[in-house]
Order: sequence, then structure tokens, then C-alpha cells
Amino acid sequence: MISNSLAQKVLNAALATGGDYAEIYVEERVPDAVMLENGKVESAASSKSYGCGLRILNGLRSVYGYTSDLSAKSLIGLAEKLSASYAEERKITVEKIQKAKVKQHIHIEDHVKDVPVDEKIAYLKEISGIVSGVDPRIVRVQTGLTSDYKVTQLFNAEGPIAKRFDNVEERTRVFIVAIAAGQEGIETSFAGPGASAGWNYFTKVLDYKAIAKRAGEKAIMMLTAKECPSGKYTVVIKNGWGGVLFHEACGHPLEASATSKGLSVFSSSIGKQIASPCVSAWDDGTIENGWGSDNVDTEGVPTHKNELIRDGICVGFMVDRFSGRRLNMEPNGTARRQSYRYCPTSRMSNTYIAAGKDDPEQIIKDTPLGIYVADFGGGSVQPATGEFNFSASEAYIIRDGKICEPVKGCTLIGTGQEVLMAIDRVGNDLALGQGNCGAASGSIPVNVGQPTIRLKEITVGGRGGKLE
Amino acid sequence: MNFSQFFALAKEKGIKESQLSFSRSKALSVSLFCHEIEDFRINDSQSVIAAGIVNGKFGSSRTEKLDKDTFSFLTDGILLTARLNEKEDTADIFAGSEKYHKKSAYNPALNDVRVEEKISLIRSIEEAIYAADSRVADVEVGYTERESESAFYNSFGLKLKQKGNYFYIYAEVVMREGEVTKTNYNVFLEKDLNAFDKDAFVKETVKGAARKFGADSIASKKYPTIIDREVMADLINYFLSSAIADEVQRHSSMLEGKLGTKIASSKLTIEERPLEKNVFFSYFDGEGVATRNKVVVKNGVLQTYFYNRETAKKDGVESTGNGTWGGGKVGTGFSNVFVKPGKQSFDELISGIKDGVYITEVAGLGTGMNATSGDFSCQAEGFHIVDGKLAEPLTLITLSGNLLKMLGDLKGFANDAKMTLGSISVASAFIKSMNIGGK
Repeated sequence: MISNSLAQKVLNAALATGGDYAEIYVEERVPDAVMLENGKVESAASSKSYGCGLRILNGLRSVYGYTSDLSAKSLIGLAEKLSASYAEERKITVEKIQKAKVKQHIHIEDHVKDVPVDEKIAYLKEISGIVSGVDPRIVRVQTGLTSDYKVTQLFNAEGPIAKRFDNVEERTRVFIVAIAAGQEGIETSFAGPGASAGWNYFTKVLDYKAIAKRAGEKAIMMLTAKECPSGKYTVVIKNGWGGVLFHEACGHPLEASATSKGLSVFSSSIGKQIASPCVSAWDDGTIENGWGSDNVDTEGVPTHKNELIRDGICVGFMVDRFSGRRLNMEPNGTARRQSYRYCPTSRMSNTYIAAGKDDPEQIIKDTPLGIYVADFGGGSVQPATGEFNFSASEAYIIRDGKICEPVKGCTLIGTGQEVLMAIDRVGNDLALGQGNCGAASGSIPVNVGQPTIRLKEITVGGRGGKLE
Repeated sequence: MNFSQFFALAKEKGIKESQLSFSRSKALSVSLFCHEIEDFRINDSQSVIAAGIVNGKFGSSRTEKLDKDTFSFLTDGILLTARLNEKEDTADIFAGSEKYHKKSAYNPALNDVRVEEKISLIRSIEEAIYAADSRVADVEVGYTERESESAFYNSFGLKLKQKGNYFYIYAEVVMREGEVTKTNYNVFLEKDLNAFDKDAFVKETVKGAARKFGADSIASKKYPTIIDREVMADLINYFLSSAIADEVQRHSSMLEGKLGTKIASSKLTIEERPLEKNVFFSYFDGEGVATRNKVVVKNGVLQTYFYNRETAKKDGVESTGNGTWGGGKVGTGFSNVFVKPGKQSFDELISGIKDGVYITEVAGLGTGMNATSGDFSCQAEGFHIVDGKLAEPLTLITLSGNLLKMLGDLKGFANDAKMTLGSISVASAFIKSMNIGGK
């Protein structure tokens, strides 16, 4: 960590050539990871990540640099090298640094980093035992616990009084991978619950035993699943992790980093209908102890609950400071980054389709023939065209309003615009699922979420021919 | 830092054998958007990873914080992680290979070119792209340059050092025709700026987007399929990941039990050449083992798996020099892969196809690929091939199949091989038949 006086010197060196905003982000983290393979410790990591990122903005120009050497010489040297990109008169001289107050959304009393490692190993061994106990065809089980304890300092200056934000966060995630092998081949299933929460949450609140059992059962079930049919079908998507579809197909194109450059299909969509009227959506970085929550974003803007879509109408974007300049919009606490090695940009936090009115069981009952997607592996989207793809890791055929046989190799493809308009039923069972999202500013923890929803028609890719 | 102090401290704490690797990386990147320098980045970072043996168990630790406490943090980390290690085998530290092919692939001339000149180069690329087609709406062009330095030391007195550098130029073009938007991304990788052909790069970038207009889907069925070299590189990467001995020994690989057998068409020959003096040159691996060039697949027959010291010991063979060392444990990787290209040009390769599909891009392979079984399904785009020529563009189609089956159906490669950022050089491939999903 660095002192206020050094920060002031670095900011002033950074602003010497006409920059109108400068920011120092200092980060020290002790990521803790224990990985077990078939119930035995495979690796336990001891590591420390440490460094500082420096950004200077000047109108619509941005320069960014980082270093793991936090000496005064190194930091001032970095500021001088970066500021050499601009050649104007100084606009700002920092005279004082003031500590900013930040509302806390993450409250942890029993930090996972303080739990003895042997206790974590015992927890993972229990999980591993549950998974391998499901069926003898489970040939390999990987379990892991990662916690990321992070202490950050952020100094930013837009005028003579710079602000300082001190922040401590810790995120923990449990990983379960079950691999089943049989005559039919090999199948893998994955579960990865996570939260910005303490040890009590993972051992007492989270139903890890049920999650472990389910992971084993899913790998076994997929062994004998038939290939998914291909064609255009009605698709019902289960609540929770199913929200990855909204995340990829609609969330990314609503990030100001894409909309501000005209690189998104939703670039000029504010005030326009982009989704079916039954759809409302939010990006909420303030959910208490949420996996994707932050107290303050990584450019010093407190996190918000941001409304993205109201009754089908686009009402907002996720806006970071830099992209906001192009859009003439205020930043709304969504500037996130993986580490000091990344320049921050607008990213999702906890992003979800809001609960609707339908009973999820009724939605399935009202579907004569279609596909029920219970879980996705993940997917990707091309923001400029809105084209996306998602592959289901657990899917079933719906016949006569009932969930029937499982199918594998199911991929949903389409465009974000299409899929938002194709939603015709929204359940009342909103749930969130945890993931890591990779984009320009690195891999960051996000919650995706949705209630059970139905897509009237979407292209399904699979190798099983036509659905009959 | 004086690394000899680390070995003294390790010995004092009861870590008899130990090793330490230091790496430093520097980078510069500039990108333009709408004629302005939108982004300018520089960085310089370093890290140290150390490992040691305590009571026959391997322990390791990593840090980016280099100060007076670094060695004590690293040695404590080794002691803790070695204590927790439950692997049955006893581990040791590698003393060193008999011979190393110490060469340098570093190009100091890249530093002689001033930053301003590199910026004017990308400015001229941007201008040329705008000028190439009136439908060009947005262009992002960037230049990135990286330099890395690594050193490896152990308690037996081994000292290895290497340094490398490269640059890449990338361009993403967005083209509009009415309401329809098409994009294309192109990248050029080298260590010698003189090797860059601006006109060819610009032409290729613009053509890539322009030819996508008017795209539609196609009837679902099996087609003779040409897979573009960039897509093929992704698929070869998945295939080679299955040849990593760790996966094989854990029964998670489709190549288990296939050593010495025919696993692909005789048209497939793959070599790994870490000693090739290009941007990926490396003469020692993460464990300090001397690297060597090797044939992985010869005329469709699998010749070897990729081994590090631990997996090699399990199979009673020598390490192939493919050890990597990132975080808590030693892994296995590969780089500088060359898939033997064919003799025909791309046009000749497709000339015999009456009704086929040319796949230029895929999306979602990361999740659409079952890396253990090789089954995959992903979104794709490309072109219809009619009577031996490229016809209408295709979009929103799916490509699915099985990796081994696909390589078995390989009829040949074109002569258009290109090295990717992922260090795989492969040409466009002709597959007898693949499942294309569409209308």
C-alpha cells in the first residue's frame, strides 16, 4: 500500500501534461486455493499478487499502465511515461487527499482466509466422498476451494481534492467436477457455488451436500442421454444459472464499453422496446454479500442497483467513467477489473431478469413439445451483431407438458434482439447462479439470474436430427 | 535480487532441494478508434515462483511482491504446501539436463523503432481500411509489443536464462449496409516489423467483413466441409490437450491407450518444435528440462504424449520437456506446434466440392466442446461451396461432430498455414463430411 503523500506526487506527475482525471489503483491479494483430486490434496497454493495500475484520462483519450514495483521511483516514472502521451498545459494540481466514505454491501466476520487449511481440506474431502458415492461409474472427482482476499486502495483526482477509497473484499467459491465414464463415453458435470461471504455461509447455509450429490447424478445421467435434436423449438429455461443467456446475449451489449462505440446492437436503444413486455431486468452491484457485489467499483464510484429494461423498454446501460464521456452519461458504479493488470471498464455485477407472475410448473404444463434447459455450460456473444450461442449441460425433452428424457449436446443459437422478443412467459421463481465472466478488463465474478422463462421459438443445435 | 540468499534460507529451514524461477514481462500497446489514440498502455511486472522438497513432498509458493520478506514468504509457503501434499509419489527437484540448445530468439531491433513510428504505422492502417470500402463504419486498430525474460535456478547450481519478444498488429472492422452490420477481426504476429505487409493485411481485413453481407442459413444436413485455418487451430488445440499425459493417466482423455495406433487420417502429421527460432522459441521448460522438437502424430499415428517429469515417471519414460509451472503445481503444456500443410492452394482444395460448406468462424467452442469425449457443437458462419467455388455467405448455422471422427475424415490441407497467437501453425482443412445445422 502507498502513502497519501506518495499518491499525491504520483497523481500530480500524471496530470502534468493536461490529463483531466487520474487514478491510482493499488491491490494486494492473497488468493488461497486448495484442490483435491479423488479426495486427495493435489495442490495447495501459497501466493501473493501485488501491484498498482495507473490511469490518466484526457477527454476521449485514455492511457493505462501497471507495475509490481511500488517504490516512489517506479510509480513516478510510470506516471511520467504515461503522461508523455499528452502535450497540453496542466489543468489540475492535487492539493489534498480526502478519505471517501463507502456504504458496505459485503459484511464478513469469519473470513475464509483465517480458517485453518486442514478444516477446508476436511470440508472438500466430505464433498468429494458424496460425489464419488453416487455411482461406481464416477471415475474422477475434483473438488476445490478458492478464496480471494483483496485489500485495495484507490486514489482518484478530477480536481484539487483527490479522493481515497480503502476497501477489503473476500470472495470464496467451491468447485466440484464429476467425471463419469461408461461404455457410452465420458461425461463431465460441474457445480461452483460462490459468494462474498464467510466460512459459516459455506458450511452452514449453503446446502453443499445436495449440490455435490446433484453433480454426481448429473454426470451419470448425461452418460446415457441421447443426442439433442436440432431445429426451431419452444425452449423453457430453468431459473438461476439459465440467466447466463441474458448475461451473454443482452447484458454484454448493454455495457457502455460496447454501446458507446456503436459496437452494440443496443447502442441507440434507450427508450425503445428491445424485449417482450413481460421482461424487466437489472444489474445490481449492491446485493448483500453477493458473488458479483462490490462496495465501490474500481474507479471509485459506489455500486448501484441499475435498471436496464423496464417492461420491455431499454432504460439504461452499465456505464463506466470513460465510456460515459462518449455517451454523455454519468458512471453508475459498474467499472470492474480482474486485477491491477487491467484497465477498468463497464461490466456486469449481479445481472438478472426480474421475477414475473407465472407459476414455473404451469409454464411447462403449457408447453406441448419443446426442450427444457436445466443448466448451461456457458456461451458467448458477438456484441456488434448480437449473435450468441449457449450450450446446455443439462437438458430434457418436454412432451405433453411434462419433462421427459434427457438429451446432450444441446446448443441454443440466435441473436440477443430475437431472444428478448421471443420470451413469452416469465416465472415467479427468480434465482441467481455464480460464474466468472471474461471480457476486456479480465475475468471477474458475476451473478447471472432469472426466473423460469419460456422462449416461444429459438434455433436449437444438436446432433439428434428432428424432434419427434 | 540476490537469489542465492533464497537457497541459503531454504536450506536453513530444512528444504534440502529447491528451485526458483523468476519472470519479468514488459508490454506496450496502443489502439486507435475513430482516428484518435484511444488507449495507450505500458506495463512492467515481475514474479518469483519457488519450490522445494520437504520429506519427499513437493511444495511451492509464488509472489509478485519483491521486498525484504520475499524469501521468507516463499520458504514458508513451500513448507506449508509440502505438508498438505497428499500425492503418493515421492518428488524431487530436477538437477538439470545434460545439454541445452541455448540460442536466442530475441530481436533487439524491435526496440530501435520509436513508439511514434509504430503509432504512425497503425494510423496508416486505419486510414487504408476506411478508404478500402465505403461501408466501413468503425475501425479499431492496435499494436501490442511484449518482451519477456525468465530465469531458472536450483540448489544444484543450475542457472538458465532466456529472453524473447514479439509484436502483433490487430484490426477489427465494422461494416454497415443499411441495417445490417458485419465485423471481422484480423491479427498479424511477428518479431520483425519488416515482415509486415500492410496492403495485404488491410485487404484481408476488409474482405473478411465485406464478404459476409447477404448471409443466410442453409438446409441442415451433412456437407463436405472446409475448415478455415484459424478455426482448425482451435480444434487442434483441443486435440493436443488430450495428448497431455496428466489427462491420459486420469482417464479423461480420448487418446488413452491410443499410443502407436492410427487415430486420424494419414494426412495428419503434427510436430511440436519449441526450438524453432520464432517468437515462441524456448530452450527449457518450466521444470528446467531441455526442450526438444518432436513428432506427435505421424501420418495419423499417435507417436507420443506430452510429459512433465512427474507424469513421465509414472509411465516410465523421460520427460518430453513440456512441464509448465504456473501456480500451485507443475502442469503440462505445448507450444510452437506445426501441422504439416498440403500442397494445393485453397482454391484448388475446394475445386472438387459440388455442394459443401466453408467454415470461417465458430463461437462457443469453449463450452460447446466436450474435451473428454471430443463431441462438439458450436455456432458457426462461413460460405456455401457450390461447384468448386465459394458461393453465398452463411450465418447462424451450427457445426457439430466429434474431434477424432473429424480428424479421421480429414482429406487434406491447403498450403495456407499461418501461426496463431496460440502458437499453432495449421492450414485450412478439408473434412469429408460434417453435420451442419441450419434451416
